[in-house]
Amino acid sequence: MAGTTVPITIRRVSDDRIASTIYFLRRNPRMIVGGTIVLAWVFIAVFAPWVAPFDPIKVNVTDSLIPPSPGHWLGTDDLGRDVLSRVMWGSRVSLSVGAISVSIGLLVGTSLGLAAGYLGGKFDLLIMRGIDALLAFPALILAIAITSALGPQIQNAMIAIGIVAIPAYARLTRGQVLAVRQREFIVAARTIGASPLRIVTRHIFPNVMNALIVQATLSTAFAILAEAALSFLGLGPQPPYPSWGQDIAYSQRYLPNLKWWMSVGPGIAIFTAVFAFNFLGDALRDALDPRLRRSGT
Amino acid sequence: MIQYILRRLLLMIPVALLVTIGVFALARISPVDPVLVFAGEDRDPVQLEAIRKQLGLDQPLPVQYVAWLTHAVQGDLGRSFQNHQRVTEAILERLPATAELGAAALLISVTFALGIGIISAVKRNSLVDLFATSVTLMGVSFPGFFLGVVLILLFSYVIPGVIFPPGGYVPLTTNVGENLRRLVLPAVTLATASLALNLRQVRSSLLEVFGLDYMRTARAKGLREGTIITRHALKNALIPVVTLVGIQIGAIIEGAVITETIFSWPGVGRLAVQAIPSHDYPVVQGVVLVSALSFMASTLLVDVLYAWIDPRISYSGTSA
Repeated sequence: MAGTTVPITIRRVSDDRIASTIYFLRRNPRMIVGGTIVLAWVFIAVFAPWVAPFDPIKVNVTDSLIPPSPGHWLGTDDLGRDVLSRVMWGSRVSLSVGAISVSIGLLVGTSLGLAAGYLGGKFDLLIMRGIDALLAFPALILAIAITSALGPQIQNAMIAIGIVAIPAYARLTRGQVLAVRQREFIVAARTIGASPLRIVTRHIFPNVMNALIVQATLSTAFAILAEAALSFLGLGPQPPYPSWGQDIAYSQRYLPNLKWWMSVGPGIAIFTAVFAFNFLGDALRDALDPRLRRSGT
Repeated sequence: MIQYILRRLLLMIPVALLVTIGVFALARISPVDPVLVFAGEDRDPVQLEAIRKQLGLDQPLPVQYVAWLTHAVQGDLGRSFQNHQRVTEAILERLPATAELGAAALLISVTFALGIGIISAVKRNSLVDLFATSVTLMGVSFPGFFLGVVLILLFSYVIPGVIFPPGGYVPLTTNVGENLRRLVLPAVTLATASLALNLRQVRSSLLEVFGLDYMRTARAKGLREGTIITRHALKNALIPVVTLVGIQIGAIIEGAVITETIFSWPGVGRLAVQAIPSHDYPVVQGVVLVSALSFMASTLLVDVLYAWIDPRISYSGTSA
């Protein structure tokens, strides 16, 4: 080897990051598929006024019940409204309910879990019994009950689905807090006089982050499905505002006439959105939290 | 074991009390005055005040709660605002239809999950396995009500001859054949989501068991593959499935609300859905309470079954 020179390539840190991200994504095709569909739906929801070909609520009886055609890719409903445009605008409802209800569940559930796990004692007992009581209700039944009590509005659906999501975050966070509470770095922080708030926010919370990201992705899928179910039962946004679940419920009356396209558009929309979040959540679980990985699947 | 069951029952009491507080609160957070709903068109202030007194709504909230709970534990969940029928009676009338639908869905889900799950695990990476993993993935994301709509479209309208009717219910005692014919579509719809979860569980726990030492021993001593799977693998692999089936009783209770609505199935779920637009709170409250308590009972039953099936699990001394 003597006398040979080894060329040294100097690469910027950012290049390494890009390369490692590409390597990571290539090893996780589920993340690419799930992430792409999620991004596509987010794009459609944000830019619905520009990408939707027609006004989703404008009645045009001369164009009623047109099957899928080049003019109306997903056909029109009995009032001549373009199904594709309604599906695109409907994504705003589904995704905003998903984002807001998951935020409610995440914020409240994580705070309760952090407090219960760190403080322990009677506070923990009280909080966890409350969480057990929430878990005693089948999730959708609780969401239906809360929305029906508060009134059929999109804000109430968000609150209801958010409340239903609380237990998952609270239990997850509490479990993680209990696992790290006695670790050396927490004891060390306590010894040097760090306040409980600082210990929880600066030392414990970062350890829970990965599991929370996975849970948030998976519960967005649940939230979209739950919102669609609530809308299907008439407990979501009210007509004529487009919503996937409500549009499927409305289309049921035209099934005997074989006007299938009215329900297929919103149905496929719900499926692809929920599928994408589930897929992404599973991929994130494998990547970020190998302890939670299911064996064999 | 009896000690464990008793301890679990004792632990359930505070949770059940919190559940009743939650259910009671649901009717009270509503912006709609129940007196106005009960009175209907009659808006005479004196009459309204009399109804308020009659319903006990003039009392402080804790007093109202205790009165409601006292009646509830005696099986009296109040009367419907709409038709003044006793809520308990209304629920009991519709319970057989819901129980039939739930049982059929559970049967379909468990049978197919076991059948396909076993083949999929034994013949890993085969076509059946590919089918099973696809079903798993699709099933959890496919909204039940959309599946119901698709099935109605196909089997009631597209394929000539109305193979299965789009809805309605004929009691089992009236006509067995017609009852079963009308049961197929709602039961398949309700079973699909839980089938996906069960299938995933059967497959993954079997694959896990296949890798264990005693399976190699069983093969080494020359046992037939069928015996190895049924006598050695399944026995251990099915323990997590029992838990999952228990969890799915909750999924079936909530799924029944949607499925009964699509197929006009006169069950408990549809009773609640029909009560919502008319603000018939006693009915909604009653159904929610019964659902939560049934779910709690099924969870307890599964925990007990779990301990019974797997003798390695000991609950003595540990709190659940």
